[in-house]
Amino acid sequence: MPKGCLFSAILLTALLSSSLLLRAQNAPGTTEEANQGKWNNGPPTKKAYAGKKSAPAPRRDLSGIWNAAAEGGVQAKGVLEHPALLPGHPQDEIGEQPDESGVSRPLSYTPLGLAALKTNKPGVGVRAVGPGLVNDPVDFCDPQGFPRMELFEFRVVQITQTKNQIILLHQFNDNWRIIWTDGRPFPDLNEAEPRWNGYSVGKWVDDYTFEADTVGMNEKTWLDNAGRPHSGDMKVQERFHRLDYDTLELTVTINDPKFYAQPWQALSKFVLHRMPDDYDIQEFFCSASQTADYNKLIGNPASVETPKK
Amino acid sequence: MKHKLLLASLAVVVSTFAAPLLAHHGNAAYNYDKKVTVSGTVTEWIWANPHSWLKLDVKDESGEVKHWIVEGSAPPTLSGQGWSHNSFKPGDQVTVTVIQVKNGEPIGRFQGDVVLNGKPFPAQVNGSSGASKGDSKP
Repeated sequence: MPKGCLFSAILLTALLSSSLLLRAQNAPGTTEEANQGKWNNGPPTKKAYAGKKSAPAPRRDLSGIWNAAAEGGVQAKGVLEHPALLPGHPQDEIGEQPDESGVSRPLSYTPLGLAALKTNKPGVGVRAVGPGLVNDPVDFCDPQGFPRMELFEFRVVQITQTKNQIILLHQFNDNWRIIWTDGRPFPDLNEAEPRWNGYSVGKWVDDYTFEADTVGMNEKTWLDNAGRPHSGDMKVQERFHRLDYDTLELTVTINDPKFYAQPWQALSKFVLHRMPDDYDIQEFFCSASQTADYNKLIGNPASVETPKK
Repeated sequence: MKHKLLLASLAVVVSTFAAPLLAHHGNAAYNYDKKVTVSGTVTEWIWANPHSWLKLDVKDESGEVKHWIVEGSAPPTLSGQGWSHNSFKPGDQVTVTVIQVKNGEPIGRFQGDVVLNGKPFPAQVNGSSGASKGDSKP
């Protein structure tokens, strides 16, 4: 076969293979096809962003619809930087340990923090209990509160800005939150009521980096799905860094000396991908009646006489 | 080829969402070491947050009907996988692979292939547009 023909044959084969691969990736029922509609779609998976070129980051601008799910924002096993898992058991629910001994990236609890941890009964991770025994406030449709809204079920968040606010619209539980940027100080926490989401103020530290601090959270919430606790004295710092037009990085640092021996990062340069401006965020309310039905039909009967491992 | 691709897609879809995204109520009650395949008639499909669930009547060898409940992920997760609020209708015939709760109750989680009215799932059903069937988690 002449060299030219051989080259053409190889090229044709490569093109056909690529075409078949693309068709396979877009086969009916896959995420890509499901995302082609305009309503009620799930966000793209991580592979959709591989090798994607982006325009430069805009100056002092976080606005957009952001996909946190693609990089693991659901965080079902505990915060991304400290999942409550044993080495060698990346997914399995071993469960029923009294504490977090043996987890890959342990947290340094104070005695008070450890006692608080043990009162929280999660359904996942090394301390998992049966679904009927879980006392996760989210399972009863309590608000996630802040910072858990960024540390569990962090799926899609729309961020918008006004001259004095950053506004975050979270998909999970259809929750919104305000970060004030008008220079106001924190309220006097001896007087101000504790809030589910706390009191947040923030500022631009450079043209592409925005930092927010939050205090005044109530003590009803967990930090994550593995039942990590926090005290009312906790201070949380978020650092948003706009890497380019399509990429936002978020670092979340927990500072709660009453419960933890030192500050720790729950998210570290966690990547959010920008979604198209016409992406419709599907509602995700917590329905108390449906949750009660679930517990009655599934959660409670599934927990009866569960044998110990 | 298309059929194989569908099956492959289905396997990936199910294995992807079944364990890690059933995040709310925990997995400790389930026996992950044993998969069970059950076939029966759909009686109800609940599309709900934070989990959806499928109810089906399954006849055992003696002819006795067991009322099974199979839980799946939340609607926003399932929507991304091509499932929807009308994925199943009462009377549909389904075969599902699940993990079952350790205590033997007829409760499971989607953990493998789903066949709906004789076709691999997701599939176009009753004229609905796009990829069709879904499960969810309550």
